[in-house]
Amino acid sequence: MSAREACVPMNPLNYLPSFPLPPNPVLLFGLLLLAGFAGGEVVHRVLRLPRIVGYVLIGLALGASGLGLLGDKLVREAQVFVDIALGLILFDLGRRLDFDWLRRDRWFAATSAAECALTFGCIYFALVYFDVQPLYAAVAAAIGIATSPAVVMLVAQELHAEGQVTERALNLVAINSVVAFVFTTMLLSWIYHEYSAGWVTMLSHPVYLLAGSLLLGYVVSWAAILLGRWLGKREELHFVMLLALIVFAVGFASALKLSVLLALLAFGVMVKNMDENHDLMQVDVIKIGQMFFVVLFVVTGATLHTSDLITGGAIAVVYILARFIGKSVGVLSLAYFSGIRPGSGGLLAIALTPMSGLAIVMVRSTMELYPEFGAKLAAIVLAAALILELVGPVAVQFALTRAGEAREEQA
Amino acid sequence: MTDETLDFKPSSGFSMGVELELQILNSRDYNLARDAADLIGQVEKTRHPGAVKPEITESMIEINTSIHDEYGALAEELKRIRDAVAQAAARMNLRIAGGGSHPFHKWTDRRIYPTERFKRLLEVYGYLAKQFTIFGQHVHIGVPNGDAALYLTHILSRYVPHFIALSASSPFQQGEDTSYQSSRLNTVSAFPLSGQVPFVQSWSEFLEYFNRMRGFGIVESMKDYYWDIRPKPEYGTVEIRVFDTPLTVERAALLAAYSQSLARYILTERPLAPSRDVYALYNYNRFQACRYGLAGQLVDAYTQRRVVIREDILDMIRVIARHAGELGGAAALEQLAAGVAADGSDARWLRESYRSHGSLNDVARMQSELWMGSALVSA
Repeated sequence: MSAREACVPMNPLNYLPSFPLPPNPVLLFGLLLLAGFAGGEVVHRVLRLPRIVGYVLIGLALGASGLGLLGDKLVREAQVFVDIALGLILFDLGRRLDFDWLRRDRWFAATSAAECALTFGCIYFALVYFDVQPLYAAVAAAIGIATSPAVVMLVAQELHAEGQVTERALNLVAINSVVAFVFTTMLLSWIYHEYSAGWVTMLSHPVYLLAGSLLLGYVVSWAAILLGRWLGKREELHFVMLLALIVFAVGFASALKLSVLLALLAFGVMVKNMDENHDLMQVDVIKIGQMFFVVLFVVTGATLHTSDLITGGAIAVVYILARFIGKSVGVLSLAYFSGIRPGSGGLLAIALTPMSGLAIVMVRSTMELYPEFGAKLAAIVLAAALILELVGPVAVQFALTRAGEAREEQA
Repeated sequence: MTDETLDFKPSSGFSMGVELELQILNSRDYNLARDAADLIGQVEKTRHPGAVKPEITESMIEINTSIHDEYGALAEELKRIRDAVAQAAARMNLRIAGGGSHPFHKWTDRRIYPTERFKRLLEVYGYLAKQFTIFGQHVHIGVPNGDAALYLTHILSRYVPHFIALSASSPFQQGEDTSYQSSRLNTVSAFPLSGQVPFVQSWSEFLEYFNRMRGFGIVESMKDYYWDIRPKPEYGTVEIRVFDTPLTVERAALLAAYSQSLARYILTERPLAPSRDVYALYNYNRFQACRYGLAGQLVDAYTQRRVVIREDILDMIRVIARHAGELGGAAALEQLAAGVAADGSDARWLRESYRSHGSLNDVARMQSELWMGSALVSA
């Protein structure tokens, strides 16, 4: 090809983009945000349901169960936004977990323990009764302990809910998320053993996950406190500093193959409890996260398959009922002794209904490691997750509104 | 409502009772919370003296003592109520604070406590009802009859700047330093039925006035008047309402002891005659106390002289010392005088806390730690 030829433009309009448009993360983010936002608003205005339900429905419509526009590849591209959203939520939830409160109201601490134990017990025995293998039943039950921090937190925020049911629900969620995570991790290492991955892996992997995540949370907490001291009490500076550390911690935890959940929860808990001089200001990181949360739920919806409902539907109903009974009995049995007004124990139990996106993550990662085991687990858990992803936000809205803790004009 | 309620029920001489409006805070950012109903329910599960009641918004509670003759017993009861409320709050992860105003809450966030009376106040007064989320101490002094109540009210009006300066604890409002020592009373002044008792000398004249106002449909009961000092016929007391809630119950008891000794001095020695001049100068003197606290200057209606409020209080404490002694409140007044002489006040403490910590969240936190005391640690 001569130089002269190369100078001749092949196409006078080649500055135009080629079709189909090449994927671009920012474009993807914007589209998911717009679609989710519109869905959330429609659901909220027409059906008076929490916007989250709309985000998830849009996700289902765009995902594999619907139009198939949001496939695995795009979901992976959107993962960065999902991770940031979870990081913000878990950090804020961690800050709300108040050990002093558990110490002062021991019945509340007992409620938390009872709720976790009974949820596990009820699901496990119900599944075993319906002929699910004990190992699957145990992992499914452990995953079921967790309530979705994202759903409870965001519905509470949408309603501007404030009061004992809201505060207690958030504390119980923080605890049951940690318990579920630790328990599931330990059970999974048992599966490693079952599938002969060897003793070393079985023992060292959970230790690496737990200790590593906690250590990361600890280091980042100190960094936040020292930076806060250096910055002085200036809210806008603290805000950017904390956001920076949250995003860093999310990224670093994924890079080190640690648990983002545990690391960010630990960051929140430790930053609150280690800050004895009150150097850090209580900045609201949730408000800024709103746009990430929309994408979080759209993506969650996209990864769920309505076909799971057909394969796992019946057992999922058993699973959901057993889980609800466990949580209700756990909360109600001790409600009288704990500092909570009569009647609100039931509402507290209802507020714990949403199932955690953690469930989906755990099932997926199990499937990657052990396709056969993961597929069996998926049949049980993901159908339940799908149902509760839609029912859960409504349950939380009902509980908080009925408890009189929502702001009037929103109720 | 019938006239019966305005029959003046005689009280034993110089008995006293205290009402304190208190702030309910969350333990995260120390903004106002809205758990009054749950908190009252929780306190009622425990044994405690006095009473705990709701107030106009869900972020407030009021505690009442029983009737006392002596400072010591009053202080003791206040501490026991404080401990009960503080422990219940700690169990619910709430904080309780004194102080006349919350430093940074936004009044638009407040919600009216759902009783008929409070809902009606919201209807009548609109946004003022939510802005009324301010916190005062009321001191009741027992008097033998309605005439004595009016006499005491008129003479105490001369000393209103004392009460304001001694209790001032609302320097911050809505996130700003107001430059006042007590900004709370500015909020009270917005109400149409705030102000002072009419200049009448006998209970029968007062009844005539009251019935005329009721005839116009302006008021239904004495509760509708938000006067700085008002006779309370059904209790047989004169109620001083200009105090900001102090940062501690101990200080609340000291203020009650001062009021009681002053009332005894006024009613037994009858040192002054009621004067319209007091009311002519009233708003100026009241403003001086709100704005500058102990350093403010008041114009004495009787001597026609300008005096610094701090000096005026110290003089008065010397004058009434004998009566304080008779009532068992001598030590209390000495303690109060020492604080005044050192120019100490709750408003100053709050401003210093802000200077040393740099955020109003810290101020609210320290306010609650000061009020709750050991309950936070030991519960």
